[in-house]
Amino acid sequence: MTNVLNSIIANQSINKSGKQNNNAAFVYTSDGRIKPMKEKGRLLPSRIFGSPIEYAKDLKKDIVSIGKAANGKANDHELGRINDLAMKLGSFALASYLFVKNPLKLSKAMEFVGFGTFFASMSLWPKLAIQAPLRARTGVDIHQKYIDSQGRKKMLFQDPQYVLTDLYSREDLDRIGKKLNVSENIPDRDNFIKQRAQKTALQGNTLWMLTAGPATPLMSALICNRLEKPIGKAIEKHALISSERAMQNGGYQSLWEQIKQTISMKMFDRYLQKNADKTLDEKMISSIAARLGLRANSATVQSAIKEELSALKNNVRLDESFIRNALRGRIEDAVFNSLSSQQRVLLNDAIRNNSIEEVADVLSKTIGSSKREQMKLTKEITQILRKAKASLEVPKISYVKGQLKTLYSSINDFAAGKGVLDRYIDARVGDKAGTYIANQWGRVGDKLIKSLNLSGKELKAVSNGNIDIITEKLAALASNDAEYDKVIKQLMKLIGNYERTTDSNFVSNVKDKAKSVCSSAGKDLRTNGFVKLADRISSNVQKGTVENIININTAERISGAQSSFYRLLQSLDVFRRANNGSLERQIASALGEKGIAADSATLQRLVKACQDLVLNATTTDYVEKLKTAGFNLSEIEYKTIMKILFDSDADTTIAESLSRTLGADKVDDVMKGFNSYRKEFMSKIANWQNSMTPELSRRTVDGVTNAANAVERNNLAGKPIRSLIQDVAKQTYNSQKWLKIFGGAMLALTAITLIAGLAIGRKGKIEKQVEQESKVNG
Amino acid sequence: MVYSIGVQNQNTRSLSSVSFGRKGTDKKSECENKDVLMYDEKKKHPISTSVKIQTDKLVKAFTKYPEKGLKGSKNANFYEFLTMGTVPYLAGSAMMIAVFNLASKFFDTPAAVNASKLGKKMGLGVLFYGIGKTLSKKLIETPVNLRYEIDVNLPYEKVIHELPEQGNTDNLVAKEYHKAYESVDFPRWDLFYNNKSFGPDRNSYYKKVGKRMGIDDEDLDHADQKVKPLIREKVIKTKLFSTLSSYFWAATGVGIAMQKPWENLVINPVKRIKNYQNYKQVAQAAKEEGIKIAKYDNFAKDFGKRFIQSSKEFLNNKSKSLKIAGRSLFGLAVGMTLLGNFSTLFDFNKSRGAKAHASSSLIDESKEKVVC
Repeated sequence: MTNVLNSIIANQSINKSGKQNNNAAFVYTSDGRIKPMKEKGRLLPSRIFGSPIEYAKDLKKDIVSIGKAANGKANDHELGRINDLAMKLGSFALASYLFVKNPLKLSKAMEFVGFGTFFASMSLWPKLAIQAPLRARTGVDIHQKYIDSQGRKKMLFQDPQYVLTDLYSREDLDRIGKKLNVSENIPDRDNFIKQRAQKTALQGNTLWMLTAGPATPLMSALICNRLEKPIGKAIEKHALISSERAMQNGGYQSLWEQIKQTISMKMFDRYLQKNADKTLDEKMISSIAARLGLRANSATVQSAIKEELSALKNNVRLDESFIRNALRGRIEDAVFNSLSSQQRVLLNDAIRNNSIEEVADVLSKTIGSSKREQMKLTKEITQILRKAKASLEVPKISYVKGQLKTLYSSINDFAAGKGVLDRYIDARVGDKAGTYIANQWGRVGDKLIKSLNLSGKELKAVSNGNIDIITEKLAALASNDAEYDKVIKQLMKLIGNYERTTDSNFVSNVKDKAKSVCSSAGKDLRTNGFVKLADRISSNVQKGTVENIININTAERISGAQSSFYRLLQSLDVFRRANNGSLERQIASALGEKGIAADSATLQRLVKACQDLVLNATTTDYVEKLKTAGFNLSEIEYKTIMKILFDSDADTTIAESLSRTLGADKVDDVMKGFNSYRKEFMSKIANWQNSMTPELSRRTVDGVTNAANAVERNNLAGKPIRSLIQDVAKQTYNSQKWLKIFGGAMLALTAITLIAGLAIGRKGKIEKQVEQESKVNG
Repeated sequence: MVYSIGVQNQNTRSLSSVSFGRKGTDKKSECENKDVLMYDEKKKHPISTSVKIQTDKLVKAFTKYPEKGLKGSKNANFYEFLTMGTVPYLAGSAMMIAVFNLASKFFDTPAAVNASKLGKKMGLGVLFYGIGKTLSKKLIETPVNLRYEIDVNLPYEKVIHELPEQGNTDNLVAKEYHKAYESVDFPRWDLFYNNKSFGPDRNSYYKKVGKRMGIDDEDLDHADQKVKPLIREKVIKTKLFSTLSSYFWAATGVGIAMQKPWENLVINPVKRIKNYQNYKQVAQAAKEEGIKIAKYDNFAKDFGKRFIQSSKEFLNNKSKSLKIAGRSLFGLAVGMTLLGNFSTLFDFNKSRGAKAHASSSLIDESKEKVVC
């Protein structure tokens, strides 16, 4: 007790003048004695979610508490709260580190989402699974908070041996008593209710301790799992909008400045300073070129810079004074002065020819007595002169610092402009995860997998590459009009969105900006004398400039994705035609025209070949025409199925389906693109005369003048639908498996907690006995 | 008796009597303070004492205390509630590891390999978090203990006489392991008085601490009054900085666990044995052929090497931004520890001790004091 009193005394804040203040725990009575002040503690309203203002106020208090504790003045309550704050600070620091570590925007964002959901789960689990149900059933809020006379917020039921249940109002007690079904007539009813409330809270808090461990990471992981897609979509949308804005004038300037300043001239200056005494040799040239090439994100720029820096070396021409100086100590001036007229002519010729070897030859013959000695001298003089020349040719970094800084400045301006453009392109068609094109492809796969209605086992088999199930499911899909039309409609919506995002407007934006950024950099570099580099960035004559590469890469990415989308339509169409028999009829008719009456087995084999081709084939499958996709085909068979697959006049099913789903007015546009893809595929890949062997791929054969290179072919072939389905199936299967295990665990834990919660707050033997006795006593 | 807020129930009254020594008179009471400071035991057998306490707490946290809590026992107390905090800590760690590892065995090979890489890192992250958080506190607590003889973790054994429950009228006794300085509001000063472990005098401990703090002998007549506020100050600072630094060390631990070298660590002992057997065969063949091959690293060595590589990758990453981020996190942890040591071991304002002493006599001594 003494300690308690001491503490109250120590905490009280009566000032020396004897006046009390608001935080004092006791007051003086009129006769000079002291007595405790009237209590100011009160219960706080029970809420599941606290208000942000309250959080901010608490945070402010915690920060003040840290200051107090640093001066050795905090109390237990404050130290406890500092622990919670420190845990959050540590976790925030960790999330920040992992934010930097992760390369993708989505992963970066998920680090902070994970941080937030973990603490949210820690707080929400007991509230949702224990506190709220118990409050609804028993009226007792096990996390009831109160504010004490010192203004500290605490949990009412934290310490079961020190529960301030007298803070309950009359209404609170009546409400809890009614919910707990406490008889109206028992003696000392209020205390009885308080004890029941205390017991309920103790049981609830114990349940909280037992379940919080597994519940928090589970809940957090499940929330993150559910949030990943919407957050990915939001990031994608933000990237599209912000990069679009950056292409406008004002936005461009601002982002340009921002990127430019990510690596300042100061840093490059420090680098030059550090290497000031080094010579501009191959190693340094590579180092500087790599640095600047990386800055511009361009291998072309890097190799061009190497050439430019090599040109910074002096081209020292020989003259007699240079030779005399270099050889001083080995050959005296007198030798030069006493040269015969013939030797003088030879030496002058050698100097005019700028040939060290010739100079060495003349001098060695002048002073060497024997043939052997002359040879030795020639070698020695050559070495001395070469070394001397090289030392003058390769300047020190400090010597060319000014030129390097000018080069850096030009490249940095160019890199910033290219950076803005790169972001614009990357957000749409970038070859990495999280871009619009990658996400859109993922969405297509998701829709397709859903429409195939795969069971868990089938999903696993498909994810392991079981092609029979894929074929079977696609056939089933093609046979169901409603499902088929639905898939076509969904896919067309996604393809339509993709085409709008990567339409001619996008291409011309890229082209215009690439032109302006590269031309401006070229002009700047030419003015500063870096002509070769300027030509590699932008040129009306040269091919393979940075400007060209940007445009070509963009076009290839667009066409690659477009081909994949069209191939998907093509695949569905082939399965549809195979299913309704039109494909077989078309093949029979085409063969009939050639005078071949194919039997049923041949026709089925060819139908199967068509299905396998659209499903599986890569460009290499078309190399050996007669063994396409593993089938043994005759020349006529090959030509026939290729005509049916890729000749737009041969089928109408896809147009009919599109007409049903999109409306007749929109069919023409889609079919135009689709047919153009098929025709191109026919001419560049499927054509009988178009050899696919790499060394012959560009030859002109029988009117096919534009046989494609490997990149074009791959882009045109698109992604095989089987690998799309398999990839998405893998992802879906893994995700479902994970969700099944941990979603199931979460459900089980929630169910156990809720059921266990039902046993809490019930009358124990003693409570029943007390009530019984009160009834008997009447 | 009137309290500033609230009332204490019957249990609290009996407990407070037990905690705070004899009752008013000098007669020996049944509720005599039987709490024992474990100073000698800890000094002689630091590891076994710690193991004994931690085991007792851990076992009870999973067995006795939840049982009492779920039954709504009137003897359940705050110590038990706090001790049960180990349950979510350990169960949560296990679940965290499971979330990132358990499902991967159902995945196909490439996905399982990728999941396993991440799973290993996350598992080690949980481990390093715990180790970083626990051990880092010692970096501040130990110097304070060595310098001032203030051991913030000094345990004492507390005996609780519990109330009879559900017809059980036996003399229920429970044992708890508290720390003398676990509360800065109510440190167990009483346990240090007349404690022969520190010397023959009533105030031996306080004199010892006072001397360590550089207070002159003549100022130590009432050493306890002089030193107690200063000890409280040291304890608060120690707790503050050990808490703050521990979470940054924990984060640093996770950061190190997230590095690439851990990805290929083989943890499964069966796989390790198989690998070793394969290695022995290869080594034998190599020996016969006269070819030298690298030695096989046992788990400890392999783990150690990877830890060093990961630490280097964390602090000296090739990526400049990662290097800055890693060093910043590590710097925060080290900085907070150094600041803690600086703040607790050096006192630039020695007059504060006198001030603190003065603060305990805020009451007008001339007036009669009665608790009404």
